[in-house]
Amino acid sequence: MNLDWLDAFLLQGIFQVVMVLGLALLLHLQMGLARIANFGVVGFWGLGAYAFAVLFVKVDWSIGEPWPFLISMAFGAAVAGVAGLLVGWLIADLETEGVLVGTLGFATSVWILAVTEQELTGGALGMGGLRFPFDIGKTKANELLWFGILFAVVALIFYYVFRVHRSPYGRLVIAVGDNEPLAGSLGKPAFRTKLWLFAVGSAGMGLLGAIHGVMAHLLIPESIGINVTLAAMVGLVLGGMARVWGAVIGVILAVGIFDVVVQSYLPLPRSWYTQAIPVLREMIFGATLIAVLIIKPQGILGDMRRDKLTRRMHGG
Amino acid sequence: MDEGRSTATLTRPQILVKEATKSFSGRVVVDVEELLLGKRSIEGLIGPNGAGKTTLMRMIMHSTPLDGGEIEFIQTGQNENSVVVLSDLPTHRMAGLGVVKSNQVIMDFNKLTIWDSLLLACSETKYEQPHRIFSERSVYRRHKDEVRAWLDFFPFADPTGFAQSAGEKKLLDIVRCLLLKPRFLLLDEPAAGLSNELTAKVMEAIKFLSDGGTTVVVVEHDLSLVWNICERVHFMAEGQVLLQGEPDEIRKHSTVIEKYLGKGHVAG
Repeated sequence: MNLDWLDAFLLQGIFQVVMVLGLALLLHLQMGLARIANFGVVGFWGLGAYAFAVLFVKVDWSIGEPWPFLISMAFGAAVAGVAGLLVGWLIADLETEGVLVGTLGFATSVWILAVTEQELTGGALGMGGLRFPFDIGKTKANELLWFGILFAVVALIFYYVFRVHRSPYGRLVIAVGDNEPLAGSLGKPAFRTKLWLFAVGSAGMGLLGAIHGVMAHLLIPESIGINVTLAAMVGLVLGGMARVWGAVIGVILAVGIFDVVVQSYLPLPRSWYTQAIPVLREMIFGATLIAVLIIKPQGILGDMRRDKLTRRMHGG
Repeated sequence: MDEGRSTATLTRPQILVKEATKSFSGRVVVDVEELLLGKRSIEGLIGPNGAGKTTLMRMIMHSTPLDGGEIEFIQTGQNENSVVVLSDLPTHRMAGLGVVKSNQVIMDFNKLTIWDSLLLACSETKYEQPHRIFSERSVYRRHKDEVRAWLDFFPFADPTGFAQSAGEKKLLDIVRCLLLKPRFLLLDEPAAGLSNELTAKVMEAIKFLSDGGTTVVVVEHDLSLVWNICERVHFMAEGQVLLQGEPDEIRKHSTVIEKYLGKGHVAG
């Protein structure tokens, strides 16, 4: 297969956009529907990546491919899911500020563990030995196939979130986020609902983290910084955090424009790429977040439209 | 007047409040020694503002924790009596037992439409799990008829949209309670904010429910409604239940006139 037309850098950029889109969709369930502002997205993502990598690299597997790979992937998602259950249990009854500090603190803990547990994670030097579970020729072809797999996973996440909006479960999650005492008086267990929402969302984030690890080949603590959380959150808030399409539009606009258009097509000096651009990116994202919250707090698409949805589902 | 609905009285559930106390910042708001609710099918709880009526209702639902005492839910079955201590349960367990309360202040889901809100009230827990993303049709099919019946009975401007006025929100709150199929229904000022016409409809619905074996307790300031519908009235003042009896007894009682109705009130 001739892949000369495909720029390796561009592929990396698009991979990044789809990855953030997956995170933004999962964050949409937590923040947009249940009103839990999870600032620890990267913690679950990073935990999934490291849990996958440690099991895959450190264990002397005696069974043949692809089982070690698949088992490690499932392990990464499961560890992140259990972490989500624990963090969710701690924050479910807290106010917004408590949730913010709690989730942020969790993400920081994961980062510190990645740095200090050198035996397992390789510390600041990073952890190598990650590779694709297949080999179909050139690096570029392998990367393209892996991107296809990520795309399929994110498409599934999108479909799940889309269905949640149209299911009794979604209605329950919205009700709990909207008016918890009232939901309780209708016999709905708000605490348990939030807990499982958090666990499922975190497991999804962990799976995405593991997928990232494979593409990166090398996990370093730097890659699990606040910028991942920020990218997902800016995209979601920009597009409209209560809307499914809000995550899609917002992430394409924010992360897409920056990571693909700016970095691949603008004639920026080469020396900027290592130092200036990551800083510039965070500055622009931060400024975008502030601007959106001031000018259009509901985002581009605005609030959710349950009235339209009700009419479509159950007749006008 | 009782003959018409005496059939189900034997199995009607009751609530027993025992030595329940509640203070807010040192001030005693509720101090009820013993109160049995549900001797008759529809009972009223009246009293001046600040008497502790709403707080007592909230204590029964355990949305306000008790300082002391206990609240029991007594179900008289055909063979045995079961007693559940409500004040030990979390709020969300009440609806499952059939103990339901409408809200005095307007409570609504801003993001849910009227249909949403009512389907939420109907929906069983097994359909509301993270993996049940295809169960909307089942829930709708199971419950659309009962929801439609209430939507036909009460006039909502557009049930597929959001509740617009304060009146609609109040009504929606009551319909949600009705859809929970309560066995013991507490109504906190159901007539406040509703037109006379709608109040009459709500009363009709309450009577329908009570005929089906539900115990109803109404907290209300609209006394003509209380005298009309209630078979037994409890009078509360300063956190205590001072009097209990037939509506006619209560409305003529000197304590009630002095503390609540005022001397100018014409009894009769």
